Amino acid sequence: MSLSVGLDVALSGLSTTAEQTSIVSRNVARANDPNATRKIANLVTANGGGVRLASITRAANASLLEKMLGATSTAAAQNAIVEALGRLNQTAEDPELDRSPAAMIQKLTDAIQQYASAPHDAIRAQSAVTAAQNLAVSLNDATTAVQNVRAQADAGIADSVDRLNTLLARFEVLNNEIIKGTRIGADVTDYLDQRDGLLAEMSEDVGIRTMVRSNNDMAIFTDSGVTLFDVKARSLTFERTLFYTPTSAGNAVYADGVPIVGGSGPMDLGSGRLTGLAAARDTYAVRYQNQLDEIARGLIEAFAESDQTGAPTLPDAPGLFTYPGAPGMPASGTLMVGLAGSIRISASVDPAQGGDLSLLRDGGMAGDPAYLYNTSGGSGYVDRLDQYISALSAQRSFDPSVGLAPTATLNGFSSSSVAWLQETRRSKGDDAAYAETLLQRSSDALSKETGVNIDEEMTTLLELERSYQASSRLISSIDNMLQALLAVAGR
Amino acid sequence: MKTNYISTSAISAATRQSIFKTQEKLAAAQKEVTTGRFADVGATLGYKTGQTISLRQDHARLKTIIDTNSVVSTRLSASQAALKSISDDAQLFVGQLIGARNTASGPTVVQNQAKTSLVSFTNTLNTALDGAHLFAGINADVKPLTDYYSSPTSANRQAVADAFFTNFGTDATDPAISAISAADMQTFLDGDFAALFDDPAWGTDWSAAADQNVKSRISTSELIETSANTNTPAIRKLAKALAMVADLGAQNLNRGAFEVVVDNAIRLAGEAVQDLANEQARLGTAQERIKSANDRMSIQVDIMATQINVLESVDPFEASTRVAALMTQVETAYAMTARIQNLSLLKYLPPG
Repeated sequence: MSLSVGLDVALSGLSTTAEQTSIVSRNVARANDPNATRKIANLVTANGGGVRLASITRAANASLLEKMLGATSTAAAQNAIVEALGRLNQTAEDPELDRSPAAMIQKLTDAIQQYASAPHDAIRAQSAVTAAQNLAVSLNDATTAVQNVRAQADAGIADSVDRLNTLLARFEVLNNEIIKGTRIGADVTDYLDQRDGLLAEMSEDVGIRTMVRSNNDMAIFTDSGVTLFDVKARSLTFERTLFYTPTSAGNAVYADGVPIVGGSGPMDLGSGRLTGLAAARDTYAVRYQNQLDEIARGLIEAFAESDQTGAPTLPDAPGLFTYPGAPGMPASGTLMVGLAGSIRISASVDPAQGGDLSLLRDGGMAGDPAYLYNTSGGSGYVDRLDQYISALSAQRSFDPSVGLAPTATLNGFSSSSVAWLQETRRSKGDDAAYAETLLQRSSDALSKETGVNIDEEMTTLLELERSYQASSRLISSIDNMLQALLAVAGR
Repeated sequence: MKTNYISTSAISAATRQSIFKTQEKLAAAQKEVTTGRFADVGATLGYKTGQTISLRQDHARLKTIIDTNSVVSTRLSASQAALKSISDDAQLFVGQLIGARNTASGPTVVQNQAKTSLVSFTNTLNTALDGAHLFAGINADVKPLTDYYSSPTSANRQAVADAFFTNFGTDATDPAISAISAADMQTFLDGDFAALFDDPAWGTDWSAAADQNVKSRISTSELIETSANTNTPAIRKLAKALAMVADLGAQNLNRGAFEVVVDNAIRLAGEAVQDLANEQARLGTAQERIKSANDRMSIQVDIMATQINVLESVDPFEASTRVAALMTQVETAYAMTARIQNLSLLKYLPPG
């Protein structure tokens, strides 16, 4: 062992300390970047006893990361559903505001009851017809609102697909850098952090599984097993539907040519915003629309007119409430999609359309005299008005496919539709809150495990300072020794 | 490896998230304190929202019926008052007939009285309330009784005159009618004259009312008749009694025939008073049923309001204590954030 070897070792100490210090600064600089992980300098003893920086690794935890990605996807899916349900709720609002179709039906019943107490009174007739008009308009508006929710979900799907394609393209670039860097043994930890960040972003839109292969090469699959990235990015395609009607069905999202969302394929996604948006578009909004359609059909049925002649031959015809398919009646107990959007009050009873208010009391809105109820023409005739009230509280059958009780009164059916909406909001809200908490916990866990603690970095820095001082002292001591040696030799 | 490790961002994220969540709860609790109801009724009640909507529907429905019942009650009271005044008039008239039967001036007195009574009788029965004629049955927009003394001569008066002329070959104003015998008069009264007050003549000449009375729904389950009409026997009998005294030439009849007219009128008016009492009783029953329906429904309305309250309301004391607790929590979280920010090794390191 010679003094020059000691000098070399001390020098290697100085340079590794400098490199370690730079890592500390990198750590501190990115302490608040949620995607950043703690970088660790790995030192090895070099030939001749010195130290050198062998590699830089990062504090990664693949299983925690995967858990966090999964939680992100679930939370995003639930949030998308809750948001859509919240917008559907605009059609019902707080029960106190009496804005739901159920409340509007009640208002119509009240107006008819008022009219029945003074059936000669044109003002009361007008108010009953106005209540009917409001009800029809509220059902039309609700249909528009529901279809807007679907269109918004569809637009959301298109945005998600665009973002995913961009993210996958960036992922490809990063992945290539990482493979290249790993092969030549360069520091790729920052690239790895960025790549994990991209995964976190992607997992918001779509549930993903990853697989790491040699050279840190990563492949991404959807949680249903469709390849999103394998050496090359696969493209996601989606054709947006700009305008939604109750009968339109949204398109599916294809990844690598396989439908992953919105179809009924076996490869459908399990989580991610795309799933939530597709559920809102194809399940919840459609279900609620169908319930509105059944309410509309129930109304047309309750106010239908029947042949009043001695030997009735004519079929029932729509009365106060009618639809484009008149004079035929919608098939009883069977869903007619989109009816709530096209229901309106009969022109023959609407003064604004040249109609006669008293037809509400007398019947005959269908135009044929056979449907006239008040044959005597008395202005105090209340039987027909009373029939309306009875019909509104009579049991009738509804299509069981809309998910509510198949036999109910119109009032009961419409309030259970609101109940369905609110219950779905409540339970989905709970699910979303749970998913959110889960996400919180898993990202906390990940951050705790892999994040940077400034205090720790500072203590590391103190250590480094000390070892730098020690190395410097060594060098100066050796220098002194050499000096002494030279002085002895010089004499 | 470190056994216990926490990253700096995890520390600050924890307090940040707790503040955020508490603030969210605080906003909801504040809304609940001010409104007294759940911040988001639908999301809180879930499927129970159906119940509150049903309750609200029933509540509104009963209130409307109670409301319309007051309209019906007004109509019934007005009808009762009208029937009472007609009945009083009829009794007075009977008294006068009895008094006039054996006096010389009797015919003139009762004939004039009958004319006045017939006019007031018609007016009373043609009473309209809020644009609807009380005694027209369901033909609410038409005057039920034809005005007897209108000009030109009304159909009912013309029919009486025609019947008289057909039977006796002379007008009732002609003094020659004193020749009509009591028996002939009785035949006329029972025959052609009586026919004028039966259908179809009654319907064409006298009354435009419908036989069908106005019906009203007075509770969710009761639909009852709530009007009277001018086609009832009471009205026909009274009209007959008044018309025979007023317009069959009472002044010119001989004593026998006059007595026949008066006796018939007394009998008819007496029967009419009886029938009117039945009619009043019928309307009275309707009033009674409305009253009891209203009492019943008022109780139900109160119960429903309570139930809606139970479902949708929050306890204001609970909510305001919750607000206080949440505010303390937020303040603590703020204080903690500030403390944690100070908690840095950097502060304790000697200046390098």
